[in-house]
Amino acid sequence: MTVDPTVTVLLYSSLAAATAVLGAFPFVLHERLPVARIGWANALAAGMMLGAAYALMALAAQYGLGRTAGGALLGILFVYWTHLASSTEDLDLNRIDEPGPEYGYQVLFINAMHSAAEGVAIGVAMHVNISFGIFMALAIAAHNIPEATILCAILTGRGVRVVNAGGLAVATNVSQVLLAIVTYAVVAAVPILLPWALGFAVGTLVYLVLAELLPESYHQAGSTTIALVTIAAMGMVVLLGQFGG
Amino acid sequence: MTTHPAVVVFLYGLATALATGLGAIPFAFLRSVSPRVVAFANATAAGLMLGASFGLVVEGTAHGSWQTLVGATVGVAFILGTQQVLGHHDIEFGRARGAGARRMLLMIIVMTVHSFSEGVAVGVSFGGGATLAVVITAAIAVHNIPEGLAISAVLRPRGSSVLACAGWSIFSSVPQPLMAVPAFLFVETFREALPYGIGFAAGAMVFMVLVELLPEAYGQARRPHVALVVSCTLVGMVLFQQWL
Repeated sequence: MTVDPTVTVLLYSSLAAATAVLGAFPFVLHERLPVARIGWANALAAGMMLGAAYALMALAAQYGLGRTAGGALLGILFVYWTHLASSTEDLDLNRIDEPGPEYGYQVLFINAMHSAAEGVAIGVAMHVNISFGIFMALAIAAHNIPEATILCAILTGRGVRVVNAGGLAVATNVSQVLLAIVTYAVVAAVPILLPWALGFAVGTLVYLVLAELLPESYHQAGSTTIALVTIAAMGMVVLLGQFGG
Repeated sequence: MTTHPAVVVFLYGLATALATGLGAIPFAFLRSVSPRVVAFANATAAGLMLGASFGLVVEGTAHGSWQTLVGATVGVAFILGTQQVLGHHDIEFGRARGAGARRMLLMIIVMTVHSFSEGVAVGVSFGGGATLAVVITAAIAVHNIPEGLAISAVLRPRGSSVLACAGWSIFSSVPQPLMAVPAFLFVETFREALPYGIGFAAGAMVFMVLVELLPEAYGQARRPHVALVVSCTLVGMVLFQQWL
């Protein structure tokens, strides 16, 4: 029996979305997490995302550099604009004790948009070939865990129950599943879009790391710790990509 | 009279080193030295160095993934060690003191040690046959200009003159001709060492970006601007290098 590749994309992107629930586990044991641990989570998530961007970028040369770079610029501008349009560009994304209702929605929106970009990365990688796509989905899945820990820290700090916080972390990743399937289907239908989608994924991943994950992290843990955790996580993904993809 | 090929390699290498000095030129027009200028210059250097590291890792892993990883780990350790040493002294560099001076010195050290492996890469590729020599030299020379730009971006806003920026940029590339010659003469030996050296260069540069350049940039400019400058410069650098 052969599985339709679209189903494979659905299964792996759903798996990546669902692993976010693991990020809620620290809060089953502790009510609050030390700020330095949140810095670690940011750095881990950032490093894995940079590793994923590297793996995608390494493919770019095969598919036409100009168009990939064009896609990357579109991706960068797209995220830049979504931040600007939603007035979240200077928002502290890791406030644990911010009670205002507006902040909660802003953070959920940011997380949903962030996941959507990662969905594009999974979808385009699946189109390149399935095993590379699975590698990408697993890298994003691992990355979703520390990211969900940060979201859960914010949500539980606002009084959301741990179960619901974990659920919301998964729910914000629904956009990831959706974009993975849409990207996969569209690129399969219009192959000329492949380098654009590849570049778009790289551009968004890199920009999100620089705009959302790293800025707060340096205040939460020292720059040496952040740099070490980030580069170790990145190296791990790059290395696995060498053997996996 | 025929010149010894090693002399040719050295001269070509020297030409590429001199090209690095051209990176200081854009900073001739930079006068005001506000914290924002420092932040944007940092972000530019960060993007250039991340882009350059991307190219290095692709090349290094083509020679050997594990060797590249070992090299990168040593590169990170090297920066940590150098930071420790510099941290224990009250450094003065030009008109700058303290953290600024440490960053300037660290930048020069990082870019200089990274040139060692680039020199090896030049020598090894010359060893493959001298027909491509001019093409390779031209490519490396052009590729060095943004590296001079990265160095000048860190030195100039902290008070170095344009001439000093050009001088230090060229200095950082001097290991290229020096290493190119032995690598050319003993291609096989150096070919094996190449992925370690490339990994070292990439590890040191990425770590320098993460531990020094980005935190300072975030501290002095708005987040979206830093992210925009770094990511666009990164894309530009990758495009520039691959296109060569």
